[in-house]
Amino acid sequence: MSTSRRDFLHMSAAGVAGMSLAASRLELRSTHPQSALRILVLGGTGFIGPHMVRYALQRGHTVTIFNRGRSNTHLFPQVERLIGDREDNLESLKGRNWDVVIDNSATVPWWVRDTAQLLKDSVDRYLFTSTRSTYSDFTQIGLNEDSPQHDPDPSAVDERRSQGYGPNKVLCEREALRAFGDRTLIVRPGLIVGPGDNTDRFSYWPIRVDKGGEMLCPGDPENPVMFIDVRDLAEWYIHMLENSTVGIYNGLGPEAPLSFAEMIYGCRAVTSAEVSFTWIDTDFLLDRGLRPYRDFPCWMPARGDRAGFQRFDLTRPLAAGLTYRPLAVTARDTLNWHKTRPVERQATLRAGLAPEREVEILAEWHASPR
Amino acid sequence: MSTRRSFLGMSAGVGGAAGFAMLRPNTMHAWLNVPQTDAPLRILILGGTRFLGVAQVQYALARGHTVTLFNRGRTNTHLFPEVEKLRGDRNDDLTALQGREWDVVIDNSASVPRWVEQSAGLLRNSANQYIYVSSLSVIADNSIIGSDETTAVKQLDDPTVEQVTGGRYGGMKALCEQRAREAFGDRAMVVRPGLIVGPMDNTDRFTYWPIRIDRGGEVMAPGNPTHHVQIIDVRDLASWMVRMGEDNTSGVYNATGPASPMSMAEMLYGIRAATSANVSFTWVNADFLEQHEVRPWSHMPTWIPPREGMEGFSRVNCSKAIAAGLTFRPLAETASDTITWFKTLPAERQSEMGAGLSAEREAEVLAAWQARAG
Repeated sequence: MSTSRRDFLHMSAAGVAGMSLAASRLELRSTHPQSALRILVLGGTGFIGPHMVRYALQRGHTVTIFNRGRSNTHLFPQVERLIGDREDNLESLKGRNWDVVIDNSATVPWWVRDTAQLLKDSVDRYLFTSTRSTYSDFTQIGLNEDSPQHDPDPSAVDERRSQGYGPNKVLCEREALRAFGDRTLIVRPGLIVGPGDNTDRFSYWPIRVDKGGEMLCPGDPENPVMFIDVRDLAEWYIHMLENSTVGIYNGLGPEAPLSFAEMIYGCRAVTSAEVSFTWIDTDFLLDRGLRPYRDFPCWMPARGDRAGFQRFDLTRPLAAGLTYRPLAVTARDTLNWHKTRPVERQATLRAGLAPEREVEILAEWHASPR
Repeated sequence: MSTRRSFLGMSAGVGGAAGFAMLRPNTMHAWLNVPQTDAPLRILILGGTRFLGVAQVQYALARGHTVTLFNRGRTNTHLFPEVEKLRGDRNDDLTALQGREWDVVIDNSASVPRWVEQSAGLLRNSANQYIYVSSLSVIADNSIIGSDETTAVKQLDDPTVEQVTGGRYGGMKALCEQRAREAFGDRAMVVRPGLIVGPMDNTDRFTYWPIRIDRGGEVMAPGNPTHHVQIIDVRDLASWMVRMGEDNTSGVYNATGPASPMSMAEMLYGIRAATSANVSFTWVNADFLEQHEVRPWSHMPTWIPPREGMEGFSRVNCSKAIAAGLTFRPLAETASDTITWFKTLPAERQSEMGAGLSAEREAEVLAAWQARAG
């Protein structure tokens, strides 16, 4: 390994360790909060929760986390932990007061119903992490928070009947609003990416670019793509809570439209890899049974009923203070985090094409008459 | 909290631009974790007070070498108070170099063959290796794709004329190379860099792009997104040259990057990735730019359209240098550090870029392009 590359990796490794200290632009322009908040986080030990807890602590807030005590129990020894189960045991939440609750962990509406009803008189505000998948129609470009959502059967809540991810989350939102009214803050993120993401749904790209060689790039280089760095989301959450922000906000980025080529070439810019890019026509890929998102993470051909899937209007989140790290920071930190994972985990990504399949498709593409 | 404090301190100066650099506050050629050499050298640097020379001196010192500078004492005299400085003039006063010994000479400052002839001639018995910084401008035929070090070099009609003009620059550098080899034989190393970029580059010939993109809005991008581009970060070049001195390497080396071909789109989008700018790119084709008197290279830095004999200009083969240890830092680091550095410059300097289009001119041409594209 070359000297300059070693320096870079070393520097970056230090960077990952120091990430909780790395200030965002948001932090620079806002002074330390006037008064510390007491924040209850439902979940808090998965992917996005720890980033929120870390940032909240850094900002001087008091954090309590509530979960089953099963995952990442080593995190945050200094934080109060309440053990329970959103399905059937909220005992430890009773008789307590918080300023705000962050609900990251609900995917079924009765979980939100139960916690929101329990906490509505003992907590000021309820932040529910919803999803872009609550929208029912992606044919339009420039969807905003008022765009149509799924309209699931409300009786499903009491019947504890799941109606699928997006519709469930719609009912979750409604349960939060029913209990907290105008004290509710709902965020609808799209793909959340960055260090700690075990789905590999963005990580595939910086990892693939860093591996080098001829790389298959899907579809039209101009195809739009949207995602959000988990740290941008987490910091924005805490700032909105500090500002007593309520309402509904999409949580996506970046600010200016990003093309797939801009994303891929941005990933190249954080490596010294010897890499070349072969863009393969959308239909060629679809005809061979390759799937957007699953085989090509982040990629959704912008046409038909997915034309607007990655072209959201971001007016409201921007007005509410959402800012974005440079893509290079996201890509670099993701890559460095990935390299700390166990070797066998590094070798088996959960999204993206397997290396052999990529080689096959590239060979077919080069052999095909065009 | 020291990481945080230094970041806050730095960021106050640079605004929100260069988040990628936020973990290395001392971007000014911060040679972090450079391993010390086991065999310190005595290195004489001719020049050494500007862009490339400064990076060489800093890296050489970080490696534990002893450095002597020779120059007229006119430029950046505040730099390197701990380094021995010999005064003289490449043109007519080499007295200070007499009676001394060095392991390595790095000649950054010659474009007149007689200068090399004189200094190399004087030092041939008192220095072991002579590294001459030439240029890819020596290449005679830029239509060749993948030129290596064996390609024909430019010839001057009259080698005795010492005036350096644009048309004569390449031929004079080629003659300088020859003078170095005549004096040092196989102890001479010739390095032919392409466009050298990064912090402290006062020509703005790459800097334009990161600064322009960081400003945001609609950026005019030249030609075809797939057009090739080659650049080398000054720190990659400088550190490699010092290591070549350590290895006592000889011969001719093309030195530009990156290791695998890079397109204009890859460069510009890579630079975008180093910023949080609200930016979009409009690619305007070469013919239209020519009609509107937007010139490659000077108005659209780093870009030479691959036509009219320039097909190979940005496709030079550097595999020999790479095999000899030349490495390339990530583009995002170059871009971010360049922005951070640029924003430390006085406001009047920042408003007067040495290359690229003015904001008004760019807007005019973009408006004309949009009107045409209809």
